[in-house]
Amino acid sequence: MTLTPPPFDPELAAVLEMIKDTLLTQLTMDEIEAHRNGPGIEMWADMDLTLGGAFEVEDRVVPGPENAPDISLLICRPVAPATDGLLPVIYHVHGGGMVLGNNRVGVDAPLRWANELGAVVVSVEYRLAPENPYPAPIDDVYAGLLWTAGHAEEIGADPERIVIAGASAGGGLTAALALLLRDRKGPRPIGQMLMCPMLDDRNDTPSVYQMEGLGAWDRTANDTGWTALLGARRGGPDVSPYAAPARADDLSGLPPAFLDVGSAETFRDEVVAYATRLWQAGGAAELHVWPGGFHGFESAAPQTVLSQACQAAQLAWLRRLLAE
Amino acid sequence: MKELAGRLTALDPDAGAAVRVIAYFDRLAEHRAGLESLVRGAAVLAGCPARLADAGRRVRLRVETDGHRRDTDQPPDPAWPSATLSPDGVPALWLERAGAPSVVDAVILERAAAAIRVVLDRTRGRAPTARADDPALVETLLDATAPEQVRLHAARQLGLDPATRARVVAPFDGPPRIVNASARRGPIHPQARPSAPGPAPVPARGTAPTHAGSAAPDPGPAHLDAGSADTALPPGRVGVGPAVPVLELPGSWAAARTALRFTADGTPHDPGPRVVYADELGGIGLLAELVVPGADPPSDVRALDAAVADAPWMLTTLHAVASTASLRAAAVEVNVHHSTLQDRLGHAEALLGWPVRTPQGRLRLQLALAMRHLGRT
Repeated sequence: MTLTPPPFDPELAAVLEMIKDTLLTQLTMDEIEAHRNGPGIEMWADMDLTLGGAFEVEDRVVPGPENAPDISLLICRPVAPATDGLLPVIYHVHGGGMVLGNNRVGVDAPLRWANELGAVVVSVEYRLAPENPYPAPIDDVYAGLLWTAGHAEEIGADPERIVIAGASAGGGLTAALALLLRDRKGPRPIGQMLMCPMLDDRNDTPSVYQMEGLGAWDRTANDTGWTALLGARRGGPDVSPYAAPARADDLSGLPPAFLDVGSAETFRDEVVAYATRLWQAGGAAELHVWPGGFHGFESAAPQTVLSQACQAAQLAWLRRLLAE
Repeated sequence: MKELAGRLTALDPDAGAAVRVIAYFDRLAEHRAGLESLVRGAAVLAGCPARLADAGRRVRLRVETDGHRRDTDQPPDPAWPSATLSPDGVPALWLERAGAPSVVDAVILERAAAAIRVVLDRTRGRAPTARADDPALVETLLDATAPEQVRLHAARQLGLDPATRARVVAPFDGPPRIVNASARRGPIHPQARPSAPGPAPVPARGTAPTHAGSAAPDPGPAHLDAGSADTALPPGRVGVGPAVPVLELPGSWAAARTALRFTADGTPHDPGPRVVYADELGGIGLLAELVVPGADPPSDVRALDAAVADAPWMLTTLHAVASTASLRAAAVEVNVHHSTLQDRLGHAEALLGWPVRTPQGRLRLQLALAMRHLGRT
């Protein structure tokens, strides 16, 4: 098997060159702490969450999972919604390899959609590994969703129109949330948006090996993230699908899915496989493989031409989903 | 990239930022990124809209800081920081920002322009300055039987904007050249001609007009305007075709060759204009169709040849009479006293068989001189 990696898109290659110092490409366990307070995370904290006054922003502390601490939800509501009725809600799960980030990270994308489509954004803070291994993160994500569905009208949201969305580790947690909600007969989201999702703890697809040492999140970093979450169980026989959705035997009965991934990233093959299995299980799924995209290219380089196409595809899917 | 753009736009021109800018454009070039990617890079890194405009190659694009392309018809502000695509070119890349460019701006402009130049050379033909006289392209453009698309392509490669006008220059010795018509003002004085090499026709002391104080400035021997296009004309005899849309250049080429037949060396042996503009010939140009080079000359030309053979001063004297506004000016032109000129003309009229000092006779002389040029092989 050849290990020649697919080429990066020209603009993305140039961006990678510029931001290489801030990337987690080969993140190891002992670097996690330093990155948690690094410039990447700080940058998100600086973001104007009101989008120039279009949203009112609130951090609300709500009950966490049973016998676990409360969790914090970032709630962004349109100041002047176009309609009087309840708005759809985008329930967002941030990325960060299961070990980094907070509920501000990556929330600019759902805020953009919400601004465009008239929706409420709820972004959940969850406990991070390795201090809080599986199932702590997904339990927090699940608890936050239950609160959102149960208190939707308090925040002007329609509990029947919840779209769950996340990127990277947040995408993996979002896919796991869809499985949990299906299996526990919880509230049913109308769609799951899985952006370059982290789905498979086995970390052994061809794209994993092809992209070793390249891009924004390689095999080493992936090993770090999954091991932080699962410890010695990572890659073994008894990993729950709620930890690594690629492990699920049954992908039927899930909400319509949107999946995207770059052709030049570690997660390419597991995302393509997941979409394929959704179709094989009789599900609705839309898959985009962006040529030359590195992991998280859309949020790292939103101005590039490939990111513009990626954003347009995401928005178009949501538009169709919410028009129903 | 977001974060980086913010950092780069800060006024701190630290070397790190410049190095990153250079790395960014190097990497784009390495991956053969297109023009829009390069202009986008400039906009995002500078934190202000950037635009590229190259009329010759029909390129115009503008990208804003969010990376979206939004072109405009508005002209660029000359005060914006800009870069050229060639050392002596006009500005082609701008950062839409007021005030003096920062060090980082300058690096962005320089690196983006360099990468853009490479892409343009690769995709739209090399810079016009390098190819302005590419014989194959010029030949294609002047070939009326070549398909229009092929000729338009050649025009662009030569740096000609198909929306503007151009004219063909036909040198006596050398391949045709094409010049942008916008570089020249309207037709120059009909009697304009280049200064003759050799002794300048300066009046000797004592032979100046007696009524110098009242003499109007002599419009006759006006020299070629030193307009920018004229200075670009090749030396020697040159016919210049009319300014036309690029697809009509074959016609301008034919007219330029006709105009060339009316030119002369501008020497005592061959007096006359070295540069002739086809669109200033008027009806005289029709003579070119009637007089076949090398054929038996018309009788007036034979008479003229006979007269010229009679005296060394004959040709320059008759040319001076035909091409200046007055006999006094003609005397100055050939550097003789007015009465000497009268004597010479009496002699000439006897040889020619027609008067040259009446309006009709002068016209006949002008036609004979013109036909004499046209009859040369």
